[in-house]
Amino acid sequence: MEETKPTLVLEHVTKSFGEFTAVSDLSLEVRPGRVFGLIGPNGAGKTTTIRMIVNLTVADSGRIELFGQPLSLALQDRIGYLPEERGLYKKMKVGEQLRFFAELKGLRGKEAVARIDRWLAKLQLADWKEKRTRELSKGMQQKVQFITAVIHDPDLVILDEPFSGLDPVNVDLMKETILDQKARGKTIILSTHQMEIAEMLCDDVCMIDRSRKVLDGRLRQIRRSFARNAVALQFEGGDSLLNDPALVANVHQVGEDIEVLLAPAANPQTLLKRLVDSGATVTRFELVEPSLHDIFIEKVREVA
Amino acid sequence: MRKFLAVIKREYVQRVRTRMFVAATVLGPLVMVLFAVVPPYITGIKAGGPTRIAVVDESGKLYERFRDSLVGSRDEDDEEQNSLSLQANSNQWERMNRTAQLSEQGFAVEPVEVDGKSLEEIKFQLNERVRKGDLDVYVVIPKDILTTGKAEFYGRNTGDVFTRDTVESRLSNAVREERLAEERVPQNVLNELNRRVSLTSTRISERGEEKDSGGGFYVVFAFGFLIYLTTVLYGQMVLGAVIEEKETRIAEILFSSVRSFPLMMGKLIGVSLVALTQLAIWGLAFVLFTIFGVGMLAAQGVTISLPHIPAMMFVYLGLYFLLGYFIYATIYALVGSMVTTVQEGGQLALPVTLLLVAGFCLAFPVIRSPNSSLAFWASMFPFFAPITMLVRIVTETPPLWQIVLSLLIGFGTVVLLIWLTSRIYRVGMLMYGKKASIPEVLRWVRQA
Repeated sequence: MEETKPTLVLEHVTKSFGEFTAVSDLSLEVRPGRVFGLIGPNGAGKTTTIRMIVNLTVADSGRIELFGQPLSLALQDRIGYLPEERGLYKKMKVGEQLRFFAELKGLRGKEAVARIDRWLAKLQLADWKEKRTRELSKGMQQKVQFITAVIHDPDLVILDEPFSGLDPVNVDLMKETILDQKARGKTIILSTHQMEIAEMLCDDVCMIDRSRKVLDGRLRQIRRSFARNAVALQFEGGDSLLNDPALVANVHQVGEDIEVLLAPAANPQTLLKRLVDSGATVTRFELVEPSLHDIFIEKVREVA
Repeated sequence: MRKFLAVIKREYVQRVRTRMFVAATVLGPLVMVLFAVVPPYITGIKAGGPTRIAVVDESGKLYERFRDSLVGSRDEDDEEQNSLSLQANSNQWERMNRTAQLSEQGFAVEPVEVDGKSLEEIKFQLNERVRKGDLDVYVVIPKDILTTGKAEFYGRNTGDVFTRDTVESRLSNAVREERLAEERVPQNVLNELNRRVSLTSTRISERGEEKDSGGGFYVVFAFGFLIYLTTVLYGQMVLGAVIEEKETRIAEILFSSVRSFPLMMGKLIGVSLVALTQLAIWGLAFVLFTIFGVGMLAAQGVTISLPHIPAMMFVYLGLYFLLGYFIYATIYALVGSMVTTVQEGGQLALPVTLLLVAGFCLAFPVIRSPNSSLAFWASMFPFFAPITMLVRIVTETPPLWQIVLSLLIGFGTVVLLIWLTSRIYRVGMLMYGKKASIPEVLRWVRQA
């Protein structure tokens, strides 16, 4: 795990606004070339954490190190930032807008123009280059905003809720683009409250709840360590079986799919046997790792 | 530095290209002409038909003269005035009076037969007619008017000073003529006596005597108004731009990429360049008009004598515009960073705008006595100086040390304001959800 120098380190970082503590004693490490998920419900302190990293607010205490150096404005040119609250000049044309933000990040001339065209084509916005920003749909504006975050080819891309307001087609496009950045060796910090998205994209995660870190590490290891007797099921008949507390601790049903957390004393074999004995037709029986959602809920309960 | 230039460039290019800018550039001079010409014209307008006036002539010998004076004398005056008019060079009050006279629709005069009725009875009848609206005013000329010089004026609207003054002066004329006639002065001598005198004014300045046509007031007014207008216009533009960036959270990206000082200065300078561009276009248009336009109009028989404006005045205009702009735009930027919406910004900016309006209003007493101590102090106070000092320079150029001192005080204030604002700007711009309170702002200044 210590093979490369971390891109970003936070050590015991705390930030309060008056009486309210937004981030409390947070430590984390983001390693290069990976997608790091900062996950937690709304108001947990994700955005405040990001705002400290991008130099918008200063931590009350603790230390932040970026690319092995203390935070500074010069380092900000190596970061791309997609804020949660999107902001674009409504009256500016898309192309000019991107040009301006590229210049703010130190890029200029032909290089900027070429990259803008490339990105617009990639995100299917080429026809909109000469249009004013306010004429674009919300989803399109969001893609433009995303381009402003990556136009200068930053080493670290910070995306705060990048999928909110996107339709499914664009969600896929965005996922693809993020993974593409990762493939090019970029580090990505993804802040989101949507666990399913974090599950699909992240290599590492840090869960925050009410200003405190509740859990962090490699996603795969976390899930493995939480893998207990969870079974995904599809069957017909014998429903009452799942109500036996000696056998089943928790049931989570979505449509036909049922996810069952077995009671500590029980094991999958017993469940399968009892199901078959009860005359149920089992169409799916699969041992699963718990979802991030379940892990999060469990961790939060534990802490509370 | 490159980022700073990028900010300036964006502010400049995005604004100069707008239709708004083009419209303001074209309409600005028109608005100014309207402001200079319309108010005196409007005050002079007598709406409705001619003023209906009844005359009760108890003296029995003044009616004819008075009527002729009211109805006829206009022509005499106008002849003289026509020879003067079209030279855009009489002073404000003279012009105002003349406009009033020209636009007046005259009088419809009727004699009131006394027929042995008592004055009370006659007045009762006339009052009734005035009330019903058949009559606007009536005048009672007593028997002994030639000795007492007193007459009575009745009307519903005695607030109409134009009518009252005209009646008074025309009646005076009639009385004077009658008195002279009683002394057996012949009519042609009377006419000769009544001929008006017109003044040719000459301005005395450091450079000696200068032919001054009296157009000075318009030039001074135009300069003062120009500074006022551009400062308000572009100051508010800065306010709007700052609030836009805060409201849309563009500020987040800006402040994560660039230091707050170049951001703020870039905005102020970018917008100031837009304003200077506009002023330059106006200046150029004026010069071109002076060189070509006047000649062309002269060829078509229209003579306009434009006031002579020394080139140095334009330099002062530029300097004091920059002073005014940077003082007010900086305050507007500060206000913009403290509020959350355009509406709040408007409220908080109101006192600032009023300060600017106060400076503009002070320009009038300053024009009348540019060397008074009021004029001196008003032109040293940095928030008024851009308008008042410029007005003084154009009216009667004060000693150089006063100009230099006012510029030093002014730009010193600018530096102070920019320093203050730069300490607040960043925190204000990144704070959301509520308006910053004054104690909070003071704390930022100390902590920054």
